[in-house]
Amino acid sequence: MESLRDKVAIVGVGYTPQGKVPGRSAISFHVEAARNAIEDAGLKVEDVDGILTQPSPGDPSNHDGQVMPWNAAQQMGMRVRFCSAQTTMGASAGGMVLHGAAALIYGLADYVVCTYGESPQSGRSGEASYSRGWGERAAFGWYNATAGYAMAARRGMQAFNTGPETWSQIAVAQRQWANINPRAAMYKEAMTREDYFSSRFVIEPFRLFDICLVSDGGRAFVMTTAERARDCRHRPVYVMGVGQDHPATNIIQSDFMAGPTGAKVSGQQALRMAGITLNDIDACEIYDCYTYTVELTMMDYGFFASGEGKDFFAHGRTAPGGKLPVNTSGGLLSEAYHMGFTPLTEAVVQLQGSVGERQLGPATGTKSPEIILVSGNGGVLQTHSTVILRR
Amino acid sequence: MSEYNKPLPIPTVEQEPFWRYCKNHELRMQKCPECGYIRHPAGIICPHCHSLAEAEWVKLSGQGKIFSFVIFRRAYDKAFAGDIPYAVASIEMEEGPRMMSNIVGCEVENITIGMPVKVIFEDVTEEFTLPRFKPA
Repeated sequence: MESLRDKVAIVGVGYTPQGKVPGRSAISFHVEAARNAIEDAGLKVEDVDGILTQPSPGDPSNHDGQVMPWNAAQQMGMRVRFCSAQTTMGASAGGMVLHGAAALIYGLADYVVCTYGESPQSGRSGEASYSRGWGERAAFGWYNATAGYAMAARRGMQAFNTGPETWSQIAVAQRQWANINPRAAMYKEAMTREDYFSSRFVIEPFRLFDICLVSDGGRAFVMTTAERARDCRHRPVYVMGVGQDHPATNIIQSDFMAGPTGAKVSGQQALRMAGITLNDIDACEIYDCYTYTVELTMMDYGFFASGEGKDFFAHGRTAPGGKLPVNTSGGLLSEAYHMGFTPLTEAVVQLQGSVGERQLGPATGTKSPEIILVSGNGGVLQTHSTVILRR
Repeated sequence: MSEYNKPLPIPTVEQEPFWRYCKNHELRMQKCPECGYIRHPAGIICPHCHSLAEAEWVKLSGQGKIFSFVIFRRAYDKAFAGDIPYAVASIEMEEGPRMMSNIVGCEVENITIGMPVKVIFEDVTEEFTLPRFKPA
């Protein structure tokens, strides 16, 4: 693959109200986030000629079945020449960086806005997308992605002796980040190791605090070429490297419950393109649908050997003040569940350098970041994307 | 048969024979005539050798081992509320393929990875029979 290194940049991030936001449809979050990201970049809607949308699967009121990119473009009054739905679920944000970069480099668009939105808490999509059983599985009482990741985690417990001791460290460290992020759902909710262990089992081996939030809201970002990025409002955040690997097999039949997942090959691709090693990474934004996912992904990336997660995450290494900050917004576990957009956009705003109390650097007793690694995975470990960003 | 209020399988067209055989109390899966690989769930292509040759539905012994499992402590559908806690497992059949099912006939606390299990068939409605597994 031709190197994309430093050819494109992310120039704007858009937020919306998030958490429990009654009276809003999924598409309303797509378009509000997109509008805000375009403004954040210092651009006008008319400047943006490309849109990539992660279809929101769950809103039956949408006449196209899902929120599609042309639906969002229609509501925003956009006429675009690059328009595509991108869905590898949790890996989509990273997938959009790759697809968007390709479009920009080949001149298919000058500015691309990438959008996400869902309304599972208050809208109509929760029943459909989060709690329903599908196909043959519901007959066995099998519901939602939690069961799939829990099954992988159980295999991990057997294969490399992981378990709640390791996962509690991940959950507590991320909660500490959320406690300094006013946007986070868990901003005012502290969590101790004891709190973690006293949270109820939902689908064993997962307790409530191993599981991501369910959030209304949206998130968007804008990409452009490196050259155009220099004229935008913020300091550009350049795409150094991207990788993807999609093992695809359903978790029940998969051979990657205890790794290696797609993270291994995807991470190697991204590091090679960026021309760096793991030692150059200042912080990570890891797709954390479940605590175990953080452990497994970082293990597959090579941050630690199989079974060494408990030592790696000990003593707050990934918490505020730690040597390798991970999921600095609180992540999907403690900030908000906007799938791959939560980790990706957090990396961007951290590298822009003005994210407030949780800003990496002196404010949080951490290294000022030059390079941040972002992961995404979807289905149940069936897709994986890696993005390495630099300031 | 008392009224059954839990969800029933919604198979793909390719998977429909699997459920017809279950109704006969037979566990059958597709075997590739080119390479011999047994696949599940059913599909028109062999994921091992990519042959499109028509697969044979071969009968399995019904013996397997638990590859991994979870225990539901929360009912996502009230129809399962009375079953909490219940176990769902990935079961590795002795012929190779893995399938999803429930582990019944033992306390969930006693389930372990690697535990030998054997299929049993439960006729839940006129239309459907569910293959479940109990300790062998």
